Amino acid sequence: MEDRPTDGADSEEISEGFLCCVCLELLYKPIVLHCGHISCFWCVHRSMSGRYESHCPICRHSYSHFPAICQMLHFLLLKMYPVAYKIRENEILEQEKKSGYFSPQFDAHVCGLHSSQELSQLGNPAHYSTTISQSNTCSDETIVLQKNCNGKLEVTRSVAVEEKNLPQYNPNGNCKQVSIANVLCAACKQLLFQPAVLNCGHVYCATCIVSPANEVLRCQVCQALHPTGFPKVCLEFDHFLEDKFPKQYSVRKDAVKIQQVHFQHESSTIRSTKASERGVNLSSEFIGEILSWWSHHGSKAHFGVGCDSCGMLPIIGDRYKCKDCVEAIGFDLCGDCYNTCSKLPGRFNQQHTPEHKFQLLRSSHDVMLSQVTVQLEGGSSENSENSSPPSIFPGDSQENAENDLAASISSNDTLEYEHD
Amino acid sequence: MTTINGYSETPQGYQDGNTPVPAPAISTSKQPLTTAKTVDTQSVLKRLQSELMALMMSGDAGISAFPEEDNIFCWKGTITGSKDTVFEGTEYKLSFSFPTDYPFKPPKVKFETGCFHPNVDVYGNICLDILQDKWSSAYDVRTILLSIQSLLGEPNTSSPLNTQAAALWINQEEYRKMVEKLYKPSA
Repeated sequence: MEDRPTDGADSEEISEGFLCCVCLELLYKPIVLHCGHISCFWCVHRSMSGRYESHCPICRHSYSHFPAICQMLHFLLLKMYPVAYKIRENEILEQEKKSGYFSPQFDAHVCGLHSSQELSQLGNPAHYSTTISQSNTCSDETIVLQKNCNGKLEVTRSVAVEEKNLPQYNPNGNCKQVSIANVLCAACKQLLFQPAVLNCGHVYCATCIVSPANEVLRCQVCQALHPTGFPKVCLEFDHFLEDKFPKQYSVRKDAVKIQQVHFQHESSTIRSTKASERGVNLSSEFIGEILSWWSHHGSKAHFGVGCDSCGMLPIIGDRYKCKDCVEAIGFDLCGDCYNTCSKLPGRFNQQHTPEHKFQLLRSSHDVMLSQVTVQLEGGSSENSENSSPPSIFPGDSQENAENDLAASISSNDTLEYEHD
Repeated sequence: MTTINGYSETPQGYQDGNTPVPAPAISTSKQPLTTAKTVDTQSVLKRLQSELMALMMSGDAGISAFPEEDNIFCWKGTITGSKDTVFEGTEYKLSFSFPTDYPFKPPKVKFETGCFHPNVDVYGNICLDILQDKWSSAYDVRTILLSIQSLLGEPNTSSPLNTQAAALWINQEEYRKMVEKLYKPSA
């Protein structure tokens, strides 16, 4: 199944690591789950429960947030397998048109860019409007690729646009070249070593991910919170890097080893702090506990409804539904995201703008309980730092205690992992 | 506000918040869509074809499966009893029926050949967690066949469908005789 029967794609032998475990095809718009396993955007979305927490198809690790697409991998695959990837894109687009639900479109002229542009593309989260000017960070590393793309790989912007030409495949194959500049850590700007992907889709070396004491892990690029403790290394990606850049990889490896000695010392203090003020921390060992926890608080869940900013699915607590988005999939935010960063476009290519109005929805039980003490009008929730947590589960201190418990446990997880 | 029953009624269990309301924009992102149905049998077809290919290439001993003529959503499979188990030397036919939202929902798998086993009832229904709540979209026909094959030799006797078989399991000698006696290979 590695050989793609489609014309032109024959020459692209797709590495097994880049086949989606669900559809068994080339990953398309890849998402890296918290556990490090990769799957396609739609495959992840359709595998999610909507009612309870969801589980990784491969390892069953539980998660509660639909992660954003990993754009670095997206563009990497596009570059390595331009023909096959384009074919996938067309297929998926067809399906999306039929269903009326769309995945995010990336505004990129992927190929034929300067490294700077390209890097900034890579650096951007799915919410591209929050661009941090990352372009200036991109070093002088050169990009091998360049020329080929006669715009053919350009990602379709608007779905209404007919895809005109399947790529005239550029047989000299230089578009398969991936350079180190395509796979840099968002923090250290060096070749990724043991890459881990945050909920927002940004990629870091596992060792470069640190969160300040007492705070939830936050992406340094887009400032999005990472709701579930420390992500695990994406091994497929790691193997790919080691394969592709053996020399540089081993240099990085040695360097990191040295750092790690320090790192581990600090880490115990760093991590044992309460990781969650707002996120729900889940760790696989606690599926049972969490399930019962879930069943207690399921009354506050909006089944089948997810947050378009952080990806929490189902939304627990307050749900803000956009009244102005016309897309079939709708646009919703959880209480936290409503109070902090509602500027992001949706996860499904909705044309949401900050001017849109929201309507607060509570789950029926929630209303009955009416113990909700949420300040509706903006700005009320102190965004983060040391404030108390009330937004997700208003007014129940026990829950918060449990949260903290789960949080500290999942941080232990990470610790263990690092000792491995 | 989303209704919960939207869920139970949806065959996929996915769901959707947009059922109840006239306004189209009700549901939301991230919610797994009801669209699964519309979502193309096309991709299901492709997935099943890849599976078939992989299965034929893999050459695992003791298991096989193939679509019924003209319907790729129904497969017939066979497993042979593993060596050193009471099922050694027997061969069982199974039927697979794939839902249109496969692999997000498991296929229905049944024994077509009678199988005297604690976790298989007289109709051939199988009690196996991965075919129910422990299903994962990363499982496939091959893993199902292998799981059932190993289930043969390692039954879960604590919650049996066939209590007689479960009771007899401790006596492997007798059990073996029973298997032989009841074994009727289908043509």
